Amino acid sequence: MLLSPELRSRLDRLSVSPRGRVQALWSGGHASVRKGESLDFADYRPYVAGDDFRKIDHNLWARLGQVLIRQYEAEEELPLRLAIDSSASMSLHGKHETALQIAAMIAYLTLSGGDRVQPVSTPGSAGKVVAIGPAGRHISAWPVVERWLETLEAAGRAPLSPAIRSLIGGSPTRGPVVLISDLFDDEWERALDSLFVGAGGLVLHVLAREELSPEFAGDLRLRDIEMGSVVDISTSEQVLSTYRTSLDQFVTSAASRARRAGLDYLLVEAGDDAAETALRALLSAGVVR
Amino acid sequence: MNFLVPAALGVAALAGPLLILYMLRSRRRQLDVTSTRLWEASDVQVTSAVPWSRLRWTALLILQLLAIGLFAFALARPFFSQQTVLGPHSVFVIDTSGSMAEGDRLDQAKAEAADLASDLSEGNLISVVDAGPHPRVLLGHAREQDDVVAAIESLRAGGGEADLSEAIRLGRGLATPDRPTNVIVFSDGGEAPIPEEPVAGAKHIAFHDIVDDVAVETLTIDATGGVTRGLVSVANHSGSETTVELTVTVDGIPSTRLEVALEANQHAVETFELDAAAGSEVMVERMGEPDGNPLDDRVWTVIDEDAARYVRVLGEGSPYLAALVSATEGYELDFDDGDVLVVDRGPLPTIDRPAWLIRPDTTPDGLELTGLVENVPATFQAPGEPVLDNVDLSKLAVAEAQNVSPRGWSPIVRSGDVPLILLGSIDGHRVVYFTFDLTHSNLPVQVSFPILGAALLHWLDGEAPGTVGSGPAGEPIIISAPEGSEPVVTMPDGSTRTLASDTASFADTSEPGIYRVTYAQSDGTVTPGPIAVRSFVATEAGAPVRDLVTSSGDSDPEEPGTVVREWGPWVLAALLAMLAVEWWIGHQRPWLGRTA
Repeated sequence: MLLSPELRSRLDRLSVSPRGRVQALWSGGHASVRKGESLDFADYRPYVAGDDFRKIDHNLWARLGQVLIRQYEAEEELPLRLAIDSSASMSLHGKHETALQIAAMIAYLTLSGGDRVQPVSTPGSAGKVVAIGPAGRHISAWPVVERWLETLEAAGRAPLSPAIRSLIGGSPTRGPVVLISDLFDDEWERALDSLFVGAGGLVLHVLAREELSPEFAGDLRLRDIEMGSVVDISTSEQVLSTYRTSLDQFVTSAASRARRAGLDYLLVEAGDDAAETALRALLSAGVVR
Repeated sequence: MNFLVPAALGVAALAGPLLILYMLRSRRRQLDVTSTRLWEASDVQVTSAVPWSRLRWTALLILQLLAIGLFAFALARPFFSQQTVLGPHSVFVIDTSGSMAEGDRLDQAKAEAADLASDLSEGNLISVVDAGPHPRVLLGHAREQDDVVAAIESLRAGGGEADLSEAIRLGRGLATPDRPTNVIVFSDGGEAPIPEEPVAGAKHIAFHDIVDDVAVETLTIDATGGVTRGLVSVANHSGSETTVELTVTVDGIPSTRLEVALEANQHAVETFELDAAAGSEVMVERMGEPDGNPLDDRVWTVIDEDAARYVRVLGEGSPYLAALVSATEGYELDFDDGDVLVVDRGPLPTIDRPAWLIRPDTTPDGLELTGLVENVPATFQAPGEPVLDNVDLSKLAVAEAQNVSPRGWSPIVRSGDVPLILLGSIDGHRVVYFTFDLTHSNLPVQVSFPILGAALLHWLDGEAPGTVGSGPAGEPIIISAPEGSEPVVTMPDGSTRTLASDTASFADTSEPGIYRVTYAQSDGTVTPGPIAVRSFVATEAGAPVRDLVTSSGDSDPEEPGTVVREWGPWVLAALLAMLAVEWWIGHQRPWLGRTA
C-alpha cells in the first residue's frame, strides 16, 4: 500500500490546481482553452452562418448595427500526465520508493478531484522507452493505478527526453505534466525543455541523503550503477568540496531550467516522510489546494 | 660535521620504499553510486594499466621523507668537534687555600672549572681534587657533567695553606693507563710552596683578583701576674692607610673595642686587658664593611686551664729526661705529683694517668716479655705516625732491649721483629713503652731526641680534658678516644661530626675557629676532650698571585684537545616536533590528502 489511510483521508480534502488552462476531451471543473457553455461570459465574435441564434446579443446589434455572438468559458477535466523515472539510478537509497509514493499521492489527488491521470514510467519493459500505466478519470480507478505503480521496479536505463516526448507528443489534450526523477541523465536539460506545454507542471527532483551529503572515506572506486562508468577518488575535504560545488550547480541548473519551461521545481530528499514533506511543499507552492 | 655511526645513514634508504608505496596504485574499494557525474571533477587520473602511478607530491609525503631523513640523521649521531683544554682524562686541581677566598678568586675558579666541565662529552673523564691543606680527591673519573659540577660547587675556601705539590701528585695518581691524563690547576699560586720544576702535562689557570684587605692575624693571651692581657696583630694589605675597629668578645659577650691605625701594607700589634677566666673563649673581630677576604677578619683563642703541665719522674731517672722535660715548652718537672708520669726503670707503679714507661722491671698487661736482645739498631719506623713527624731514627742503636710480644700495642719503631718503642693504653690512659734503657742507647744524643720527646709528651697529654691546642687552619686534631667511646667534634659553626671510635686524627679543620672534641660513652655520658683553635694562616692574607710553571708533558703542545658535541638530541627533538605536525595535519587537515 503506497498511501496510508490517514494520508488518503487528508488527500480527499485537497485537489490539484493547474496554473494554466487545460484542454481535454471531457468537460470538467478546470478552465479550458476552448469556449464552451458555462455561465461565465468570455468574449464576443461576429456572427457566422450556422451559429446559434440564441447567442446573438440584440442590444449590441441595435446600438452598433453589428451582429455579434456572445461566447462563454468552457470547463474541462484536468488531464494530468505523470512521468516516473524508474531507471537504475533510482534504485539506491530508497529513491524509487519515494518517487512511487509521491506519484501515488499526486495520482490519488487527481482522481479524487474527478480528473484524468495518465501515469507512465521510463524505461519500460522489454526494451521499450516507456511503460504506459492505466489512465483513470475517477477515484474508482485508484486501485488499478496503485496496483500498477506497485509493480514498477527501478532498473535498466533509458533517456528521459524520448520518454517525455512520447508522453506529450501527439496527444489531443493539454494539461500539466509531473516528472519525478533524480535527473541523472545525460540529456536532462533537453528533457526539462520538452516539458514545456503551456499548461504548467511540476518537477520533483528526488535525491537521497547519501547524494546530498556523502560521507565517504578513503580511496574509492565509484561505479555508476546505471551507466557502469567508474570514477576513482581519494576522499579528502577538497574532493568533497568539489562534489558539493558540482551538486549545487546541478540543483540550481535544474531549478532554473524547470522554471524556464513554466514548471514548478521541488527538491525532495528521499526518505520515509518524503511524501508528507512533498505535500507540504506543494500546498505551500499552491500546486495543491 | 662528522658522524659517530655513519652507517646509520643507510636508514635513509627507507625513503625508497616510501616513494614506491606512494607510487603504487592503491587498491580502491568499489562503491556503487547512483551517478558518477558529480564526482567526475574529483577523479584522480589513474588511466594507466601499470600498477603504479605518477608520484604526487603531497605535504604528508614531504613530511614523511623529512622524518626518515631526520631519523637516519639522528641514528648516525652527528657531532662537531670543539677545541677544549680537556683531555681524555682531566684532573681539576682546585686551590681552596685561604688566599682563594680573597675577592672572587674561588668563585671565578669554580665558574671556570664548571664551564670547562660543560665540554665533557662521551669519551672524556674528569676528576676533581680539593687542593687544601690536606688534598683529597673529591670525584674520580666522572663521566657526568652534573656530578662534576656538584663536586666543584661543594668546594669552600678554608683558612689554611694549600699543598699544591701534594694535590698535583694526588691528581697524577688518578691517571689510568688507557688514556692520557692532564692536570688543570685552578689556583692563584699564593704564598704556599709550589713545584719549582715545570709540572708536566699540566695547565695552570691563575686568578689575579687582588682587592684591599685587612687581616686580623694572631691573638695571644698572657694570664701571668694576675692580669690577663691580650695581644692581637693586625695587617693592612691595601695600598692606603686605614683605621681598623676591633671588637674583643669573651664567651660571646663584647668586652673591649680597639681602634688601630694602619699605614699602607703595615702590620701593627695592639695589647689590651680583659676580664676572662681560664677556659673562656676570646675572639677578636674586625668590624666595619666587608673587605677582600672574609676569612681573615676574626681570630680566636681559648684561655688554657693551666699554662704549665707537670711531669713526675719515678725510678732511677736520668739527666736526659730532666733536660728533655725542661726543654719542652709548657712542661715542668714535679717530684711530688704530675699530669704525666715517667717511669725510668724500676718497678712498675699503678698507672692512673698518662705514662711513659722506660724499660721497667716488669711489663704491663698486653706486653709479654720473652727475653732480652743485644745490639739492636732501629730498622723500621712507622710511616705517617704523627709522633714521628720530623723524627729520624735511622741511626738509633740500642745495646740491650727487651724482646716483648705486643698484644693491643702499636710498635712504631722496631729492629726487625723486636719492638723498640710502642704506643698503647693501660686502664684508659695513654702509655708509651720503651723496651730499652736510654742510657744503653744513643737516642739521647740523636738530633731527633728532643723532637721525639716533645711529641711523645704532647701525645700523652693529648687526652687531657680542656687541653688547648693551637695551629693553622687545616692542621689535624689528634684524637684519642677512650675505649668504647665515640669522638664527637663540634665545628666552629656549631655543627657536630661523630667519628669512628678508632679515629686517630681529624683533618677537616680548614675553617678557622674553635673545634671542641668530646667523647660520647656508650652509657650516654660525655667526657670532654681536647680543644683545638685553628687560625687563618697569616701568609694567605694578601698573598701574591704566582704562575705555576707547567709543560704539556708527553702530548704534542700544538695539538688542541677536542670535545665532541652531538646534535642527536636536537635532531630527535626536531623529529618529534615534525611527527606532531604530521599527526596534526593527518587528523585535523584532511585536505592535505590523508588516506583513511
